[in-house]
Amino acid sequence: MTPNTLLDVLTATPLFAVGLTLSAYLAGSRLFQRLKRPSWLPAILIASLLLAGALALLGLPYTTYQQDASWLTVLLGPATVALGMPLYQQLPRIAELWRPLTICLPVAASLAAFYALAIAWLLGSSDTILASIAAKSVTAPIAIGITEQLGGTAALLLGALLVTGVITIPFVSLAARLLHINDERLIGFALGLNGHAIGTVRAFEISPTAGAFASLGMSLTGIFTAVLLPLAWRLISMGS
Amino acid sequence: MPALSGFLWLISYWLIGEAVIHFTALPISSGVIGMLLLCATLAVRGRVPSSIAAAAQPLIGLLAMLIMPGVVGVFFIAGELAGQWTAILIALILGTLLSVMTTLWLLKRLIGQSSDP
Repeated sequence: MTPNTLLDVLTATPLFAVGLTLSAYLAGSRLFQRLKRPSWLPAILIASLLLAGALALLGLPYTTYQQDASWLTVLLGPATVALGMPLYQQLPRIAELWRPLTICLPVAASLAAFYALAIAWLLGSSDTILASIAAKSVTAPIAIGITEQLGGTAALLLGALLVTGVITIPFVSLAARLLHINDERLIGFALGLNGHAIGTVRAFEISPTAGAFASLGMSLTGIFTAVLLPLAWRLISMGS
Repeated sequence: MPALSGFLWLISYWLIGEAVIHFTALPISSGVIGMLLLCATLAVRGRVPSSIAAAAQPLIGLLAMLIMPGVVGVFFIAGELAGQWTAILIALILGTLLSVMTTLWLLKRLIGQSSDP
C-alpha cells in the first residue's frame, strides 16, 4: 500500500493541488503552441483534459482537489476586479461608437442567453441546467458569480462556456460570409460578445482592432448580463 | 513593491463589493461591483497608477488558469447529467449560431453601411 500512503502524504497539503494545476496549465499551453494554436482546440481545453486525466490516474477525488485548489481560485475575485483596468482603457472607443453599441448590446447580449435558454427549456431541461447555462456567453470570472446567484452548477457552466467559446469562432466566420461583412470591428465585437475570452483571443489573431472590439464586447456583455440576468431571473421565478 | 500595493487595491475593491452586496442585497457578484468601481476610480483619476497595472496585468493573464479547477469539474459531473447532454449541446450550439447571426446582422444595420469597403 505504499503508493497510497505516499499520495496521502502529498495531498495532505493544498500545494499538491496547486502544483498539479500549474503543471497542467503549463503543459497545456506548451502543447497548444506545439499544435500550431488550433482555433477549435483552445489551450484551456487541452490543459483541463490533462488535469482531469491526472486526477483520474491518481485516484484523487474531485472534491478534495477542488477544496485544495481554492488556494488558487480565491484569486478569481481580485482578477475580476482587475478587468476594470482594460475596461477603463477602452472607454474612448466605447464613446466613439456609443450610439450603435448601446442599441445593439442589450439586444444581442439578452438574445445570447435567451436563445439557448428557450431551446433547452423546450427540450425539457431542469431548472438547475437552465440556471447553469444562462451565462454561457459571459467571461468566466463574471459568469461564475452570476451562476452562483441563479443557483446553477459552476462545473456545468464552465463546460457550457467552453463549448460556446469554441463554436463561436467558426459560426462568426460563417455568418460574416453570409452577411457580406468584412469590417474587423464588427467581427471582433461579435466574437467577444458571443464567445467571451475564447472569442477574444481569436479576434486578437485577426488584428489588434478586432481584438480591442472583442474585449469591449466581452466586458460590456459581462457587465450587462451580470447586472440584469439575476434581476430578470428573480422576476421570472417569482412570476411562475 | 508596487505590485503588492496594487494587489491590495484589487482585494480592497472586492471587499467593498462584498460590503455593498451585504447592505443592498443586489444580486450581482462582488467581483463585478469591484470591477465597475475600479473603472470609475480610474476614470476620475484619468490614468492607471503603475501599482494597479503591475498587479492587474499578470492577474488577467492568469485568468485561464484560475478557472481551470472549475472547468475540470465538468468531466466529473458527466455521469449525473446522463441523458441531458443532448439537450444541453443542442441548446448551446443552436443558440450560439442564432445569437451570432443576430449580433452581426444588427451590427451591420447599425454601423456596417458607413464602413463597408
